[in-house]
Amino acid sequence: MHIEQLRLKNYRNYRELDIAFDDKINVIVGENAQGKTNLMEAIYVLAFSKSHRTPREKELIRWDEEFAKAEGRIRKRGQTLPLEITISGKGKKARLNHLEQRRLSDYIGALNVVMFAPEDLTLVKGPPQIRRRFIDMELGQIQPRYIYHLGQYQKILRQRNHLLKQLAHRQTQDTTMLQVLTDQLVEHAASLLERRFVFLDLLRKWAGPVHEGISRGLEKLEISYQASIEVSEEANKEKIEDIYANKFWEIQEKEIDRGTTMIGPHRDDLTFFVNQKDVQTFGSQGQQRTTALSVKLAELELIYHEVGEYPILLLDDVLSELDDFRRSHLLNTIQGKVQTFVSTTSVDGIDHEILNGAEMFHVRDGTIDS
Amino acid sequence: MYYPEPISKLIDSFTKLPGIGPKTAVRLAFFVLNMKDDDVMDFAKNLVNAKRELTHCSVCGHITDQDPCAICADTSRDGSIICVVQDPKDVIAMEKMKEFHGKYHVLHGAISPMDGIGPEDINVPDLINRLKDEEVEEIILATNPNIEGEATAMYISRLVKPSGIKATRIAHGLPVGGDLEYADEVTLSKALEGRRDI
Repeated sequence: MHIEQLRLKNYRNYRELDIAFDDKINVIVGENAQGKTNLMEAIYVLAFSKSHRTPREKELIRWDEEFAKAEGRIRKRGQTLPLEITISGKGKKARLNHLEQRRLSDYIGALNVVMFAPEDLTLVKGPPQIRRRFIDMELGQIQPRYIYHLGQYQKILRQRNHLLKQLAHRQTQDTTMLQVLTDQLVEHAASLLERRFVFLDLLRKWAGPVHEGISRGLEKLEISYQASIEVSEEANKEKIEDIYANKFWEIQEKEIDRGTTMIGPHRDDLTFFVNQKDVQTFGSQGQQRTTALSVKLAELELIYHEVGEYPILLLDDVLSELDDFRRSHLLNTIQGKVQTFVSTTSVDGIDHEILNGAEMFHVRDGTIDS
Repeated sequence: MYYPEPISKLIDSFTKLPGIGPKTAVRLAFFVLNMKDDDVMDFAKNLVNAKRELTHCSVCGHITDQDPCAICADTSRDGSIICVVQDPKDVIAMEKMKEFHGKYHVLHGAISPMDGIGPEDINVPDLINRLKDEEVEEIILATNPNIEGEATAMYISRLVKPSGIKATRIAHGLPVGGDLEYADEVTLSKALEGRRDI
């Protein structure tokens, strides 16, 4: 799939933008603080209906304006599909094919995007929430049902944590309500975990060969899922529910003591191993970056095989962070099959045949010349 | 100040109503100025009376102008079956159907620890007392099909279980007269879960 046209209105530093893209490589060049990342972010927002940079949606609205709008015309399976996100003080509206979608899970997935930005280089060494967010976003865009379970899970979790706090402070003694919320939580926790296991399987399948390629056959990548319960990855939903239910029963006193939910998908993590060594602890900076890159590139294949088309790849200011070999490997991988947006302050020093044939866009203070 | 004081106060009052923003409030206020005196008097009287004369039924919690309410006082209704709802408006909706001849219990909310609403803050203790005093065989849990409504239904069903009274939950699924293809995934899977023999 690819974006044919993007229109922005009052989006961050863009007052008005109407731009058509090449279906192969688009290079966005400009000095710092001119709007390169804002453009990348707008494409990301069209896909996920939220920004990767901020949870505060009002920041997306241009200073002193009432609303921000991003519209995209997507080409997908030989057909054109219009997407639209409007953000105003009253909230957010997502339109797919001009029809408003009330559930985000009905909207997300229409446009698949894989973003690789400097902060993604911390996927391996950063805190666990970065890896959980990675799973949630990537799994969500290929499986809308996951987003539904995640939303329900988070709501129940908030209720349960409030109740646990009240129990911890002796404001209530009622554990029947705790059991009710535990039952509700377990159902969605098991759905999330079952889906994560399937996703992990696919990610391993694609990330292994990609990593071998980038490391010239020297490194073998393995990914393991650290669940907060003891469970086999082959377990079905009923089995996982049983394990969660028993564990919650076992730790009830402890949870009441601490006033918070101690197990569940929101406490899980991923560990990456290169040649059987934990990369987060024992890997070099270079290995950590290669691993992050492998995982992102694996996603391209994963989405291609799950959705039937390659997603759009956003490379925000990362080309300069990679050495020549990794950069060439990356560009060769996407050659001709993935619509790619590359942002950079300068094309000097990035000499690659693919970039030479790319469409160039120059960004200055919220306007773009091609 | 753009408006003379009486009308700006009236505008203020209208904005307190749900679904009414500043523009609509101005339009309504000016409309009132052009209404007949009698109509305005009636309007004001009805507003005050609705608030003053209506109380909550001491038995079921429904809004009423007499205590117990007309439904609780109606001896022709089946007292062995109680339908538990969140809101007085839900009673009206059920009554419009004209098919339910049991009695009601209005909770006035759902349990939500996040908002500091526990079982004792909604009408649950009264419901339990009713089950002890009256001869009830079944309670139908008709709370809303969202997380809080579902949790409230599950909570109440656990409380009544030891008493041997039957607790049932209303079905979720496809709207009647709708098309299967337009149903969202969640509703469809609930409908599938709740399928029955025919």
